[in-house]
Amino acid sequence: MAHELDHQRMGEKLHWPPENIIGEISLKTLLFSNDYRHIALKGILTALIMLALGGTFAMLFRAELTVPGVQFMGARVYMTLMTMHGMVMVFGFLIPLLISISYYMMPKVLGTNRLHWANAAQWSYWILVAAAVLLVIGRPDFTWTAYAPMSLRVGGDLVWMGYLAILLVAISEFLAGAVLLRGALASRGGWKTMPMMGWSALTVGLLLLVSTIPLGFVGLGLLTDWLEMTAWFDPARGGSVKFFLYVFWTYGHPAVYLPFIPAIAIVYTLMPRFLGRPMWSYWSGVVAFILLGIFAMPIGPHHFQPLYTVSGWYERMIQILTLLVFVPSVLHVFNWIATLWSDPIPASAKRSVPFKFMIASIAFLIYGGATAYLNAQIATDTDFIHNTYWIPAHFHAMFFGFAGQMAVVGIYYLYPYFTGRMYNERLANSHFWLWQIGLFTKITMMFVAGYAYFPRWVFDYLDVPEWAMPQIMLSAGGYLIGLGFIVFIVNVALSARRGKPAADDPWPVEESDAAVPSAVPAQ
Amino acid sequence: MAITIALTFLGLAGLAAAVFMEKRFRATYSLEFVFIAGLLVMAFFGDWSSTRTYTAYQEDLSAGGAVSGKIVEDTDRQRKFDRVLTTIAFQWGFAFITADNEISRNAAIVKPNERVLFKIVSNDVIHGFNVPVASLTAEIDPGDVRELWIRAPARSGKYLIQCVNYCGVGHAQMKAWLVVEGEEPTAELDSGGNTDGA
Repeated sequence: MAHELDHQRMGEKLHWPPENIIGEISLKTLLFSNDYRHIALKGILTALIMLALGGTFAMLFRAELTVPGVQFMGARVYMTLMTMHGMVMVFGFLIPLLISISYYMMPKVLGTNRLHWANAAQWSYWILVAAAVLLVIGRPDFTWTAYAPMSLRVGGDLVWMGYLAILLVAISEFLAGAVLLRGALASRGGWKTMPMMGWSALTVGLLLLVSTIPLGFVGLGLLTDWLEMTAWFDPARGGSVKFFLYVFWTYGHPAVYLPFIPAIAIVYTLMPRFLGRPMWSYWSGVVAFILLGIFAMPIGPHHFQPLYTVSGWYERMIQILTLLVFVPSVLHVFNWIATLWSDPIPASAKRSVPFKFMIASIAFLIYGGATAYLNAQIATDTDFIHNTYWIPAHFHAMFFGFAGQMAVVGIYYLYPYFTGRMYNERLANSHFWLWQIGLFTKITMMFVAGYAYFPRWVFDYLDVPEWAMPQIMLSAGGYLIGLGFIVFIVNVALSARRGKPAADDPWPVEESDAAVPSAVPAQ
Repeated sequence: MAITIALTFLGLAGLAAAVFMEKRFRATYSLEFVFIAGLLVMAFFGDWSSTRTYTAYQEDLSAGGAVSGKIVEDTDRQRKFDRVLTTIAFQWGFAFITADNEISRNAAIVKPNERVLFKIVSNDVIHGFNVPVASLTAEIDPGDVRELWIRAPARSGKYLIQCVNYCGVGHAQMKAWLVVEGEEPTAELDSGGNTDGA
């Protein structure tokens, strides 16, 4: 509902002139400049390369999984691809992409017009690149969770590179957290008017600072255990598996929120922009951000709740807190639906591709998020959920269906601000439909397979209909997503040179379809 | 499951209405508070329902005593079960040891409708123990002992037991069979998943 401070809460700067940053930037500037626009651009481009890499890994192991039996890939190669897919997608694509978008939008929206501690952002980027290089050379096969003591007994002589990569990821994300937190604290105007991008940076910055310390300890502990200098995690030498699990999931669960919260902030920032009106409730969103940040930290043990006696008071408390995550999550969705429903949606929004992606992302958040009600309950978790395909279905809906697609919303929205041109609408719409059909098919088939107890991390499986059929359709969905990604890359590459020049305001709010399109005629 | 499906449809219907319906609707803050109250009730119900289910399971296993984390030698309790199988999870398979010290690799042989107690240990890494036909999943931490019980299916046949925790390169092969022996002919290979109604 309308409030006198709404204008300030929507952000200091809702519109700024498009620039051709990509066309004018030199390689040296792109690589080493501390200008927030260049750091953000570099992060976005690198994250897209990581998406291509992680996606290619997925295409390869999907080919193996499409039908039962061993086709062309052994278990070790499969697990290496699976491990690198998970790590590259989470650490190389999703989190850095949304952080990079925040690096660009935060100074604009908060009105600081600079990225405080940009040097730390620069170091964060290069340390992450070093981690990615180590990962590709080391080719670990211990999954992204690197459970000890298994992770100490797999791989070859280069497996230490995987442990070191985990440590470097932790350092990189810690620095990124410091930059985001500093940026939020620099916001003008105080708490009552801080835009949602600021609340997001505050929440996710704090989460990064707190949660990456245990991740760093995991990387370092695995490395020193492997070198037999310590015995933190290996029970055969006096270490503790429980200790590993608690330390790892102190990062592992908040890690889910690291891309999730900036993605939510993009909805709050761009929905008013497309609709031309403020969000339904500012404080509902703020409270939801704070609650998400609070609930994120203690509930990591729900990831391994079938490990111990599960009816004790501690496990029950974890179950209750996990169930309560529903409250802030639904507050966000309620807020968005209430905003959309309150007044007519402008024709300009309905026809714009990023707005369509935004609506689809919210739909996937609902689709994947509702299943969290079952995941949180120990009784159902210890039935068909824990470590079956049900879990990847849930997190693919949340990570890719929502957060990944919201990152794409950010890219399409920012495209004219980086290139001075508009993307090709027809190709962008093709991308949209390929991804929605592909994602829905893939995620639904993962739920179906998981409900039939299809286990995670297997390169071969029994030839039973309830497993074989979903796998065929799952692969088909995966390849549609791959095709959509190719269309997307072709579009952003070609349109940077051939696209229509962007108008002064690339995203004008127009109530009717008869209005002028958002690009000026080509010169 | 019904609540999850209802919640999904409610959310998607609300979103679709907000985007596609001609008629506009202005939500009030009181509606949001009602929604939150509904969510809290839902969370309370989820906790109550889950705890009731799992507590009942554990009470069946051991009235009041510890059921995991250490070996509990309680012959009275063990008499409640028709069969006790000491189970070793290892890279990569399961070994089942009967009370008569007979060892069977990757086959737990039981009779229809028997109450079977598995005392499971892992001697190397964390393993999973999933028996789909019994709707049961657990993780086994090296050094600990988990005690889990199932009621064997009434229908004879081979039912899947599988590791669901990544435990190394042979994880995909870490499977065993719950072999339910009866006078009837053996049923066909069955993953025992929810889809077969078992």
